Formats: sequence, structure tokens, C-alpha cells
Amino acid sequence: MMVEVKLVGLGKRYGPVTAVHKVDLTVRDKEYVTILGPSGCGKTTLIRMIAGIIEPTEGKVFIDGKDMTGVPIEDRYIGYVFQNIALFPHLTVQDNVSYGPRARDMPREDQMRISKRFLDMVKLLDKMGMLPGELCGGEQQKASLARALSSGSKLLLLDEPLSALDSRVRVDLRYELRRLAKELGLTTIHVTHDQEEAQSVSDRIVLMRAGTVVETGTPEELYTRPKRIFTANFIGETNLLDGWVLEIKDGVSVIELRNGGKVKVNQADRPVGDAVVISVRPEFMFPADEGMRATVTSITYMGTYWRVTANTEDEEEVGFDTATLDENLLTIGKEVYLAVNPKTAVLYPRPNDGVQEAIKLE
Amino acid sequence: MPTVKLVKLSKSYGDIKAADNLDLEVKDGEYLCVLGPTGAGKTTLLRMISGLLAPDKGKIFFNGKDYTVKEIEERKAALLSQTYALFPQLTVEENILFGLDIRGADERTKEQVLISMLDLVRLSGRSDAFPRELSGGMQQRTALARALASGADLLLLDEPLRALDARLRISLRTELRSLAKTLNMTAIHVTHDQDEALVMADRVAVIRDGRILQIGTPKEVWDEPATPFVANFVGQSNFFTGEVLQSSPLTLLRTPEGTVLKGRPSDLPQGTSAVLGVKIGNTELTKERKGYLKARVERIIFEGRNLHVDMVMDSGQRISSKVPSWRKGKIVAGDMVEIYWEESKGTVFPMPPSGLENELKVE
Repeated sequence: MMVEVKLVGLGKRYGPVTAVHKVDLTVRDKEYVTILGPSGCGKTTLIRMIAGIIEPTEGKVFIDGKDMTGVPIEDRYIGYVFQNIALFPHLTVQDNVSYGPRARDMPREDQMRISKRFLDMVKLLDKMGMLPGELCGGEQQKASLARALSSGSKLLLLDEPLSALDSRVRVDLRYELRRLAKELGLTTIHVTHDQEEAQSVSDRIVLMRAGTVVETGTPEELYTRPKRIFTANFIGETNLLDGWVLEIKDGVSVIELRNGGKVKVNQADRPVGDAVVISVRPEFMFPADEGMRATVTSITYMGTYWRVTANTEDEEEVGFDTATLDENLLTIGKEVYLAVNPKTAVLYPRPNDGVQEAIKLE
Repeated sequence: MPTVKLVKLSKSYGDIKAADNLDLEVKDGEYLCVLGPTGAGKTTLLRMISGLLAPDKGKIFFNGKDYTVKEIEERKAALLSQTYALFPQLTVEENILFGLDIRGADERTKEQVLISMLDLVRLSGRSDAFPRELSGGMQQRTALARALASGADLLLLDEPLRALDARLRISLRTELRSLAKTLNMTAIHVTHDQDEALVMADRVAVIRDGRILQIGTPKEVWDEPATPFVANFVGQSNFFTGEVLQSSPLTLLRTPEGTVLKGRPSDLPQGTSAVLGVKIGNTELTKERKGYLKARVERIIFEGRNLHVDMVMDSGQRISSKVPSWRKGKIVAGDMVEIYWEESKGTVFPMPPSGLENELKVE
């Protein structure tokens, strides 16, 4: 069975407010796609239109090539997991999970077999006789997932499925979610505001802001070569530095930064004299003999590396990582020169409204 | 900026011990994070310190004086909860000045406090706005300003960033910490988020079942975990079981398969049944040389600065590792790799009496 989801010009207006504006997207069979973005970006409205919980005001949803306009949620044949755990509190875990098969009047034997299969998959077989209230948060959400899967659908929609859980539980569950989706060959659409979660589970990320899609790509594309400043800032951490293109030679641009330093970037698509912004991840900036001058303001242990923050000459804060802490070189108050790995920096035209406006979340 | 000392504090709800003979000392001007899973007793702890809740047993000292039964107002502690709890019908200004109004402060004092608070939380242009007109981050900053305007010198923060988006949470971490530091306040911040605790705290206290398992600098808690739970809760670990061969100058552990693993020195007697924990970020893998153990790479997930690598050992045990992203393509699913770690990154613990699986439960 193939499940492909196609959105064509999908939009939703509430009076004068546009929650989602003309989204075009194809989610391929067995693909795991996350819709990522800050609060209010329209991601929840989008997944609810796919599910049939919200009617779009424009555009169409196709599942397997079939126009879903007017088709209610129960006839779209999808598994849906909500952010706030929505189990029936008075039914046992197993009865919750076998709810779908039971509603479709499957023989009792099949109900039991199917529910056991998915409870085994989410490792809750030993707790199937308990009531939801007797489980902890992560287990409840696993039961919700088993219930969504027991519908037999090959399309799984996850609406912030991990948001209500402790962060440590979230970390474990996100790897399990992807494993399960891949083992079962599901087409999955997962909504989240958490960029780390999106990176860990996705084949592709759709990044949204203010009702529109900013950029779509694999986690690696969006991290290493983001096309937009908003993406560079939202996915992972980065330093955004203002400057001008000083010269271009053999495909390498020399950028003079506003903070006085000069850095090289292996990218040459902006003309000499252009105002630019460069994005450099903290792991690609390092102390050197020359570069931009900065004063160390804080040093934080991150477990497998140290995060150092420093103030440049124009009072801009930059962050960089170091695997080992040489205290002769790095202590608070000390001056350092910072260089940038030219292969990893990304160059953008400086936005007219300024960098702050370009990266604003809300 | 008081010191806070809790001595043998206990509080039970029926059979559940929310605080179990708990001792804790917070230094003057310190930013302490209390880190633990839901239900560990974090909120109960803050409520007892603030005076909202009386302990069943034990004592609370501020600056060496017994405050166990003192009224809330006398404690000069500001409690900020995870939901912002602003008055929806009052403006930012009215919310911030609420406490001062109640106490009948004069106009000049109010004016001064308001200006400095708005400036501090960067809301100077928004004093006339109502909470619903503000973003989540701004609402939380308003709540913070209100808490601070009360003139407190002890800041109690109950998951203050939990309700915010992940991205916003990260940017507010440094702000919140530097605010507390600027104002010379002692801060006790409870959270379930290990990254938040590592980044914000001078010291981290790891709590579970109403007990403090370990207190130390972020580096101490990360590098020298006191229990397997701490090793796994703060930054995820792989665990290997075996029998102790020697405990100094390194601890040597022999696995059931006969492999000898190395970790930091310990005081475990020879022959003890034990477990070695090593952070997944410190679990190194190579194809170049021999390591402690062999594993087959099952999948590799690109996570930005790191690759997350899931592996299966011959025994069927699953382990994970985080390696820098530049190694992408150099290791692929299906590869056989050798696993090793720096000896100082392995910690050996006695086998937990309740079993390893129970010990490691994160909720």
C-alpha cells in the first residue's frame, strides 16, 4: 500500500487573520516529514487540515491522489496522536489500543491480536491491564501511539506528540518514534516547535514562519547550507555577523566584518562592496593568531565540549566551542582572535529590515 | 541575598515521599538548579522554601536563622511558576506594581521600581500592553519583573521556561541567569531539562524520589556522576555490567563475555557485581584500531553538530554514540566498529539493588 500526501495551495483564514498561506507540499510514501516552527506559525492548523479536523478556506489535500475535500477525519484512514494525551481514562490500556479495531467491528480475536502487537512494539505489553492514570507521561503517549497505529493506517499524523513530556523522556522517545515509523513503513507527518526533535526524527523538515513555508530540506541541508537567515538561526545555533564583501578571489570572498575582523568564506555569489551577513556555527569558529578580536565573557561546560562566549569590538556577542579548555588561552576577560572555517560559513545579502527582523520568532 | 539551608526536610502525601530527609545548602548569591524528573519533589521543595507549604519534619534556615514557621511575607522570596499567572485585566505596568500597590508604596518608589524593572526585562515600550497582547516570552519576562519588584532577595523559579518554545527557551536561559547575577540574588531554579541546568547553574542538585542524589558543579555532575541514574539522566549513558577486578589506580571490570573494561578509580571491592557507565557523547567509535567492544552500526542520524549513531553489540545490547558531523560518510549503517572511551570517562557503580533497569527509569 502506498501513501502519498499532497497539499496544493492549502490555506486557512480566520476573518482577517491568515493562519496558513498557500502551502504546496508533497510527502512521499514512507517519508518522515516534520513541520517545524515557532508558536503561531500555522503548523498546527496545517496538520489539522490534513487530518480533516479543520476545513481549509483555500486549496486542497490529496491522500493517495484522492481529493479529501469534505471527507471527515474518520474516513481519511489516518492515525492521529495529539499533544495532550487523549486516552479514555476509564478503559484499560489494551482496551484503548483496541478501540479502533473494535469500532470497526473486527472479531474479538483480531482486536486482541492487533492491540497486543502494537503494545509489544511500544514495550507496554506488561502494562496493558492498567488504566491510563497508572502510567507515567511517556508511557501514556506510547499507548496513544499504539492506539493510532492499531487503526491499521499507513499514514501517521503526530501533533506535538512529545511536547507535554519531560525533556529526558522526549529524547528517548524521539528515537523510538522514528524507529517505529521506519519499521512499519509509515508515511509520517510530525508537528513540533523543537528543532532538535525535528533533526533527530526527520527525512525532511518543512520550516514555517507566520503561516508560510520558509524552507524545506533534509536536516543536513537546513543545518549546513540554509538558504535563509531565519533557518540558519532557528535550526541549531549560529553567529550572524554583519560585514561587506572586500574582495573575491578564486571563488573565495573576503568579508570585512563590522566588528573589524576579516574572514574568508568559500562562496562568491555576492558582488564586491555588497552588505552581507555571514552565519557561522559555534563549532566552526576557533581561536587563532589573527581574525576578529574579542574578549571572553563566559565559559560553560557542555559535557563533551566547552562553549565560550566573547564580546567583539563592536559589542556583539559571539559563541564558539572548544573540545579542550586551554586556560592559558581562554579565561574570562582574556582577549582572543577568532577565525572561521571558510568551508562552513554561509553568506547572505544583508536584509533590508536588519538581521533582528529576519530572525524574529514571534 | 540569603544563604538557604534545608536540614532533614520531609514531606509526604499519603505513601508518596515528596521530600525524604532532604538536606541542601545554597550559597549566598548562588544560582542553583534542582534537576529531576516529574514527580521527584521539585515543586514541593520550592513551595516549602517559599512558605506556601509546611514541611512535616525538618528545618529551613535563611542566613543561619530558623525560618521554618515564618510567614511567607517575611521570607522575601519571589516565586515564579511555569504558568505566568499574570492578571489578564491589568497592564504590564499594573501587573509589575501590584505588590507595591498592596503594600501602599509611595508614587516615587513605584515610579523608580517600574522604570528599572521595565528596563531590566526589556519591556520599556510595552508598559501599557495587556498580557494577551504579548508573546509568551514577553509574558514570562513580565511575570519575572513582577516577582522582582516585590523586593525579594531570594528568587525561586519553578520550571520558568517550560511553557515556552524550544528556541525561545534557549535564548531566555542566559538572560534569566544574568538578571539574577546582576541583582545579586540567590536563585533556586527547578527544572527537568538537563541542558538548561548545565548551562544556567553554578551548581546542580539532582533530585529523585524526594532525595538529593548529587550536588556539584555542572562539570562534576557530568563527569563524576554519583549514581547510574545521574549518569543517564544528565546526558544519556551506555551501561555495561560485569565483575570488579581491581579498583585502583583504575577500575577494571570484566564483562560476562570476558572483556576487560576500564573506568575511573573507585572504592569497590574485588569481585563486586558492578556496572560501568559512559556518556554516549564520550563513547568513541573507530574502524582503525581495537577497542573494548565490537558493535554493528544500525543507523546514523544527522543532528547538526553531531551524528547520533545507534549500534547493536553481539550480545544484542543496543548502545549509542554521538560523534562530530564531519565523520558523516566515513561511518555508515552496517559497518562493524570498535568501541572505546577515555578511561577517565567511565564511571563504575555497584549494581543497583533494585536492578539496573529500575535505576535508570527517567520518569
